[in-house]
Amino acid sequence: MSASSLIGRVVATELKPSTPHQFHFWTARESPVGIGAIVRVDTPGRQVLGIVTDGFAYSDLLTPIHDVIGADGDPAAAAHAPTERSEIRLYSAAVLRQIPEEPLQPVPLGEVHLAGDADVITALRMDAFTQPGRSTGIPVGVYAAGGLESPIYLDADFLLGPEAAHVNITGVSGLATKTSAVAFLLSSIFQTFPAQKGSVAAVCFNVKGPDLCFLDQPGELSDQDRRLYQRLGLAAEPFREVRYYAPYKPDGINLNTLRTHESLAGNTVPLVWGLREVLDYAEVLLNKDDVDAKAGAFIDFLAERVVGRSFHDVTLSDQPLEVRSFADLEDFFRRIFEFMEVQSKGSEVWRNHHMATIRKVRNRLGNISVRAKGLVTDDGQASDLPWGRMPDRSLHVVDVAGLDPLVQDLVFARIVSKLREHLERRDLGVDHVVVFVDELNKYAPSDGQDTYVRRMLLDLSERGRYLGLVLFSAQQFRSQVLRRVVGNAGTALFGRMDMDEIATPGYATLSPATKAKLAALPKGELMVRHPHFTQPLFLRFPRPAVMAGRVGVERFPPSPDLPFAQAVARQLRALDSAITAARIEALIDGRREDDVRRALHATRRTHPDNVLAFFSAQLGKRVEREVATGKGVTGLKKVGDPYER
Amino acid sequence: MSTRSWTRLRRAVAACGFTPATWIPAASEGRAEEATIRPARLLEDLPISGHAVGAAEPWPGTLAFLDGTQRYEVMAYAGASPVVVAEIAAGVLERRDRQLHVAEVARRRLVIARPAVLSRLDGILEGHIAVALPEDEPAHPVHDFQLARREVDTERGRLEVEVGRRYRSASGAWLIVDGSLGESLQWASDPRMVGISKSHATLPFSDRDLEQYLRLPAGYRSPVFQPAGHQVAPVYSWALRLWPWEGKDLLHGLIRVEAAPTAETLALADQLSRWLLAERAPVSTPDPRWDRLLYGIRAVEEYLRASGER
Repeated sequence: MSASSLIGRVVATELKPSTPHQFHFWTARESPVGIGAIVRVDTPGRQVLGIVTDGFAYSDLLTPIHDVIGADGDPAAAAHAPTERSEIRLYSAAVLRQIPEEPLQPVPLGEVHLAGDADVITALRMDAFTQPGRSTGIPVGVYAAGGLESPIYLDADFLLGPEAAHVNITGVSGLATKTSAVAFLLSSIFQTFPAQKGSVAAVCFNVKGPDLCFLDQPGELSDQDRRLYQRLGLAAEPFREVRYYAPYKPDGINLNTLRTHESLAGNTVPLVWGLREVLDYAEVLLNKDDVDAKAGAFIDFLAERVVGRSFHDVTLSDQPLEVRSFADLEDFFRRIFEFMEVQSKGSEVWRNHHMATIRKVRNRLGNISVRAKGLVTDDGQASDLPWGRMPDRSLHVVDVAGLDPLVQDLVFARIVSKLREHLERRDLGVDHVVVFVDELNKYAPSDGQDTYVRRMLLDLSERGRYLGLVLFSAQQFRSQVLRRVVGNAGTALFGRMDMDEIATPGYATLSPATKAKLAALPKGELMVRHPHFTQPLFLRFPRPAVMAGRVGVERFPPSPDLPFAQAVARQLRALDSAITAARIEALIDGRREDDVRRALHATRRTHPDNVLAFFSAQLGKRVEREVATGKGVTGLKKVGDPYER
Repeated sequence: MSTRSWTRLRRAVAACGFTPATWIPAASEGRAEEATIRPARLLEDLPISGHAVGAAEPWPGTLAFLDGTQRYEVMAYAGASPVVVAEIAAGVLERRDRQLHVAEVARRRLVIARPAVLSRLDGILEGHIAVALPEDEPAHPVHDFQLARREVDTERGRLEVEVGRRYRSASGAWLIVDGSLGESLQWASDPRMVGISKSHATLPFSDRDLEQYLRLPAGYRSPVFQPAGHQVAPVYSWALRLWPWEGKDLLHGLIRVEAAPTAETLALADQLSRWLLAERAPVSTPDPRWDRLLYGIRAVEEYLRASGER
């Protein structure tokens, strides 16, 4: 059957009338129409495009008992009836568009045709943004029905702003639909986002397993996938410019990620922050019970007067104090306590801050350095995302899967805040940044206490589009996410859904058949809502052309945690492959590990031409062990016991 | 309610000076039949109380069903005489692979009135066949209407015969006709046509024989007999009980089968009965005549009604 052949006729009865937004039509028993199919009603002077939302089949049987009678109560005999009962296939369709659009009238009786490519474009109003030369269409998949595969485009202005923005994806876990959809959509954006609209980059947070760890590696595609890529006009290739960031493990030398295979080390860099970076976002880590007004005031004092500055207080030290690391901060606190114990003359207040408050802040901040060990460094120097020089079409994956949840919040809050700051100043390097956050119900739950991250996500979803800061979020249960966050997503994608989730009020507008289809949606298919589409649309998208996490872990098994010296050598080899482990082992033998880490971080930050020489220089001059050879302390002269009688 | 398609004609008729009217008789889709007993001649030496025909067997090969419909209404009065409009239709549905397909359809639209009235309507009856009522008696609204109704019956019978002939010219398949084969010489002599009468207004026996005839058990048939009466052509016939009648009505599930008046029919009576028993399913509910109405026949009726101009 050809794509636009006649497949049915509109029927309208008093019980099932046509309205301006809905109509019903019947088809032959064998027809390509299914739930989600787009159809066209042709009548003189009016064309109506609709999408099938429900289907009914019934026969002329008034009651089941008549069928039982006809079969003498034998189900097998029923199948042998010489004539099959007349049966109707009746479909309900929601109107996508009427031409002309005014006056808006009930759908007239008329012939129903299966939509063709041009009809799909018209029905979904894609004609407004897919004209050659000024297209802002971003391919998102194909609409497939009756042998037709029509490319579906999202409007970049409504995907990345400024008209609307944000994408939210809902689907059950385990099918990889959410991750695949995001990877494919990002690739599509990078390939087709119009140059006149500016530059774009993406920052993805890998919150579990190896999901996003191999986006720079090619994945296996089927012929069907390749055909879909061709139909969508996209290249089936992995992301070209990807950079991975992962904090260290608590040992401070092995990266806390599954992407530790040596051949992937070239674009996998440590994410390391100093005290300043942490202190600016202390609010993320300290809940309201921790940070009362007094504690907050003391933290502000530390941030504004002490950390990263030369702080001079003769009660603590004759010389100005330089607090740049957690170690420095600990020393700072120790001096305060010593002063208070020895010289405060019973006073409990230092610089208007009560000792209890100071101790509380010290405990909480100290706790952070323990929980975030591996993320925070003692040398005060950060290894961070390329703020201010983010390349166009670059993808930055921050692997926080192995971090304490509170530290994940810190990483997330700081990176998003930094993105926002730079975008406000227009000095990030790109005009638009997509931030992908999985498990949104964890970060922005609909119930539970109000957290810094939740407030930040809300702000991002409500105001981000004006800045070019776009949230791509995903979760299993949309109903458990803060309504305003998902509600602000201009585009919503739905993979296979849990029936319990579909039963929640948020899905009340979907027909029972659409819900049933959602509950059984195969991998690689999505339902999409987009501002230009007046009804949800089912579509199919190809597998992303990147290596799946599970495959990647098998192909590039994570390196086991190495002993300190070998781990250092491996990281330096990522900068200079000629460096040998033996050479490094000899170089750092006998050195303090903190000194080695500091030298290593400096080397990685600087990326010098002569890696080994630079690293060696950073280590500094070796202080040789000395053995005391002097006479020592002379013993007491032997005298007689004066009490001896 | 008046049909939309006759609205224009009604206006035109009214414009000719006739008194407009809208009256649709309650049973405008059925055929009138007078209740009577016409003794038949038995052709088999079998008890009238019947004998079992055996288990139902599916009808082999292609099977077709023929039926017709009619509807009529009074649209005006010329003095005391009614002007009746009617639509008659006949069709054949053919069963192949358990599916029914339309094989033949024909429709006619009639205007029935006294000749003087028809002459005044000349020129506005486009698409209608004018049928003249006899003028040998003074105009009487009820009598004239009864005459008109008879004309509709006759015209429908003719149309069914025409459609049956057309089908037969194209196919040699078995054809089941709703009603009597005796209305047509061609039908009555067709060895692969079967008539099914649901109506028992005319009965072939009386007294004790009739009682036995009407008490056939389910799956039993009467002996083959030759009905007497005013039919155009002689046929052979027998009664067959499709469904148990006990606790319901004497006529429940009782059909009268007609076939060509040949020795072959006598030989085939049991076989045809077994095939017809298989046609009980699917049942023709919600039609109140479901116990006697074969599904294929009902499908023809439904098709003709649904596809007719309303």
